[in-house]
Amino acid sequence: MKGLTQFIVDLRNSKDLQEENKRINLEINNIQTKFSSNLNGYQKKKYVCKLIYIYLLGYIDAIDFGLKETFELLNSSAYSEKQLGYVALSVLVNNDKAKQTTKDYLNSSLSLVHQNLIKDLQSNNEDFNCLALQFIGSNFNISESSTVRVEESDEDSAKWLELIDIVYSFVTSPIQKPLTKKKASLALYSLLKLYPQVLLSNSNWIPRLLTLVDDKDYGVAISCIPLLHYIVRLKPQFVKSIIPAISLRLYSIVIENKCPEEYYYYKSPVPWLVVKLLQLIEHFFLLTDANDFSVLSIATLDEQTLNNFRSVVAKSIQNASHPVKGLPNRNSQSSILFQAVSLAVFLDASADAINGAINALMMLLDSNETNTRYLALDALIKLTARSNTNCLTMTDRFDVNLPKIFHLLHDKDISVRRKSLDLLYTICNPSSYNTIISKLLDYFPFSDFTLKSELGIKIAILAERFATDFTWYVTTMLKLLSIGGGSNSNGISYISNEVWERIVQIVVNNESLQKMTCKLVINLLKKPFSASTHASTQPPPTGVSENLIKVAAFVLGEFGEQVSSTEGFHISLQFRLLYDAYFKVSLTTRAMLLTTFLKFLVKFPDEDFVPDIVDLYEIEALSIDLEIQTRSHEYLGLVTSQSNFKLANSVVKPLPAFVQKESHLVNRIGSVSQIVGVNRSKSLLVLAKNINSTSKGESTTRSNTLDDDDEEDDSNPFGDEKKAPTTLSPNWYSGYHRMLHYDAGIFYEDQLIKITYRVLKEAFNIVLKFTIINNSAKTTGTDISGFTVLDLESLTGNQDPNYVLNIKQLPDPTIHDKSTMEIGIKVRNVIENHESPILSLSFMCGGSFNSLNLKFPVLLLKTLSSTVLTGIDEFNKRWQQIGDLLGVKEGECSVKVSITHRYNSSNISRLLTRLGFAVVHSTTDDDVNEILVFGAGILHTQKTNYGVLTTIRSVDQIGKEFEIKVRCSGGGVADVICSTLKEIFEGKF
Amino acid sequence: MSIHFILVLNRQGKTRLAKWFNNNYTLQDKQRFVSEIHRLISSRDSRHQSNFVEYQSNKLVYRRYAGLYFISSIDLIDSELSYLESLHFLVEILDVYFNNVCELDMVFNFYKLYNIVDEIYLGGEIQEISKQKILDRLAYLDKLD
Repeated sequence: MKGLTQFIVDLRNSKDLQEENKRINLEINNIQTKFSSNLNGYQKKKYVCKLIYIYLLGYIDAIDFGLKETFELLNSSAYSEKQLGYVALSVLVNNDKAKQTTKDYLNSSLSLVHQNLIKDLQSNNEDFNCLALQFIGSNFNISESSTVRVEESDEDSAKWLELIDIVYSFVTSPIQKPLTKKKASLALYSLLKLYPQVLLSNSNWIPRLLTLVDDKDYGVAISCIPLLHYIVRLKPQFVKSIIPAISLRLYSIVIENKCPEEYYYYKSPVPWLVVKLLQLIEHFFLLTDANDFSVLSIATLDEQTLNNFRSVVAKSIQNASHPVKGLPNRNSQSSILFQAVSLAVFLDASADAINGAINALMMLLDSNETNTRYLALDALIKLTARSNTNCLTMTDRFDVNLPKIFHLLHDKDISVRRKSLDLLYTICNPSSYNTIISKLLDYFPFSDFTLKSELGIKIAILAERFATDFTWYVTTMLKLLSIGGGSNSNGISYISNEVWERIVQIVVNNESLQKMTCKLVINLLKKPFSASTHASTQPPPTGVSENLIKVAAFVLGEFGEQVSSTEGFHISLQFRLLYDAYFKVSLTTRAMLLTTFLKFLVKFPDEDFVPDIVDLYEIEALSIDLEIQTRSHEYLGLVTSQSNFKLANSVVKPLPAFVQKESHLVNRIGSVSQIVGVNRSKSLLVLAKNINSTSKGESTTRSNTLDDDDEEDDSNPFGDEKKAPTTLSPNWYSGYHRMLHYDAGIFYEDQLIKITYRVLKEAFNIVLKFTIINNSAKTTGTDISGFTVLDLESLTGNQDPNYVLNIKQLPDPTIHDKSTMEIGIKVRNVIENHESPILSLSFMCGGSFNSLNLKFPVLLLKTLSSTVLTGIDEFNKRWQQIGDLLGVKEGECSVKVSITHRYNSSNISRLLTRLGFAVVHSTTDDDVNEILVFGAGILHTQKTNYGVLTTIRSVDQIGKEFEIKVRCSGGGVADVICSTLKEIFEGKF
Repeated sequence: MSIHFILVLNRQGKTRLAKWFNNNYTLQDKQRFVSEIHRLISSRDSRHQSNFVEYQSNKLVYRRYAGLYFISSIDLIDSELSYLESLHFLVEILDVYFNNVCELDMVFNFYKLYNIVDEIYLGGEIQEISKQKILDRLAYLDKLD
């Protein structure tokens, strides 16, 4: 576009701003004239482009026209015109704080382009589809931490929903190209962040979206990661279903080097995808549910998946030890290395492995490259903050390495300085706190202005967390206030108010601290700390420490009289010290001092400083500051109206203990809280135990646990909704019932898939081996792909569960012929009959998406093993024993069953044997009048074993109605077994 | 896990590309960010300081190519090196697309830059990581009317 180029050249040649202005005004007039005439597509593009350029130069207010032409471009059927229309919209339409909220802005942009977007999404032209998807992904995207949400009740919710529906269909359609799919999955991610309710109300969408993780195209794979991450944050129960696929993908890239040529970046196979996948797993490990439990732990991973991860991490670390040439290669390799190290902690690495990693990282701190030092510090922060188990061994290391980290506090780059401060904060522990805190105090005067506030807060938190002795705590904190007394050029103190307020709270609540604190404060007022005694260079002068005066004003006013009788701490001296400071401090502090003086005056009405105070009140009652004036005026009134200070006395009553539950400090420790992510072992504060104030007669309790901020608190913005029961697939029952009876058989079958099973029992350990057979291979020759175990939902309680499931082996995601899956069951206690788990599977076959929810029996009866009884006499004896021990109500259960077809004695004997009973007695098949079978066995649970006896007796003449009696040595267990047997016989619910 | 914006600034602080992925930012935020970031980054010494610096509640990863700073603002939990290398990836694409790119290419073709960025990133996330695929796609789109 020649005119555009010329225009830009003109502007670049402008001698000054004035000339540029002139040229722009000329052009704006020109464009306005042109817009009122008939323009062809090329001209429209050219003039809209000029408008964008003017806008980008900063002449924002000059552009209040052109929307009509932009929409004409948008409606054009020429790609380049449409594309420019979208560009113009995204540049020219902006979120303006003065005009609207972000939500209004998003709603108004949607109203503006809604029609165009729908039209382009529904167009048959893929390139138009892509333009619309790109616009959605870019212009409706909000940050993950944003709280802007579309609600169902919103006026525009239907429009958003319409977009989401269309974009969703792009993502899941089997006929879309990878190009469209990747754009659609990112567009969907943006929309769902804005309107997450859609995902929650359409939970059937989730399994389909999760299959994206298996997409063969690497572009789709990397594009779907944010969406998958978001889904799992909303619905953490799906985390387990996608982890195996991620591990296989990582394994194939990192270990097997399977990567198409075009996806190599220099010599690295898809480094960005590898980093993203590793990071995704790291986030999953950090994720906690509503009850603060981690949603993923290595105990819940199957062996193969875990091994894959471990090999990938090991290989990535190993790769990094081979030197490579060229910055892109080095950076790619290191980016994978650092991500692998962050993940390693979660994979239950041995103490040796962690120590090895720490040593290697410590070496990197000596690197000449600033980036490397920075990244090594970052990795050390993650490593130390997340590995609780090996704290001790690590302490040894750090005591050796501490000087190295201290040294980095003086690095040339503030980013490195900040990181080393964060690292010191995370590694601080009961054996190193003293060294670290005193080092940080020494460092304070030399630290950057921008770091000072954070540094002060970190010192305060560490001092409180690790304090073992009161004198040390108070001295440390007062020292912090003394040296951190200065303020920046805006008059804002480096030490935030929370810090001195915190000391005051602690002193008020701890009677034993009060005297000592008074003495310390008085001494400090007499002779301030010299900021650093052994620093090589002179620190900048600190000036009067306001914060110290504030503490003094408070503490001496409240408790000063407690030390007044001690030599050198007399109240008149206390007054003199504060009075001298009065005119050197800010108005806020002065106001505090006025109150302190009132307390002095009321408590010591005969001291010779009383006239000074009254004089001060008289002068300050004329102050131009409203607060000072008010206080002085009121206090003057209080002390002059009554000679016995009756009213004044009630004004200065001692403070009750503070009841504030937690320190505000932790909210302000800066970025480290986000990086650390998980709570370190929650160390209860030593001081806190003493803080429950007894002296004031207040019974308020105060807990001062200083927890690290847990950033994952809001991992599920909708709280923990009541889980709707899973709908089982049709035809699930025949497989379930078969499994009740038999230890091998067909669990499920349809046209696409057949699942067979085998049950292996060993006391209370049961192993289920499933074989998944691809039925469609025979008929249509298609593979089953994306075979995923979405969920294995145990319906037993979470606390002290009656049984525990773990997947020992997962099936292959792609099933050409067949694949096996193994589930281990450990029976811990008596399982109720309604507690059987549900296995949720999903798979793709020939472009169709299928999911199955199948229940399988995990029952106490499945742990039965036969027991040898000598004969019917022993059977009767045991039968009697149980009756004597537990009584019939607890020990026995009987039930009548009626069966659709006839059974004879041997049928029943075989059935009981199959279930695991030893048949002690059986009538012969010839005996037509009565059928009677006795069975005996032992039930196994991890906690205990139970003897179980059963008699089955016919009650009709034809063998279709029976009475089952069960006695069991565990109270109430007979009921459970009895109803299981009834279900086996009758085959109903 | 995402990029909040990508900026390309020259040493005088003139914006050569600003792609905002985070729509929570207002017009006023954007203007303030650009000038603050230019001041922050141009004052940093490339030999003794890293390519990373915290800004607001995010971190900036950046690299200087001749007279231009390429900057992206990412979440604190994100991998610095990965996104730093992603900027290099962008630069390499520009270099091939413009056949030895220079600042003037970016000035005169400012409207094309958005299309290029839209093929590499979307909504602040990495969308495509194959250089060849992106270049082929751009060449195809340029041929369309």
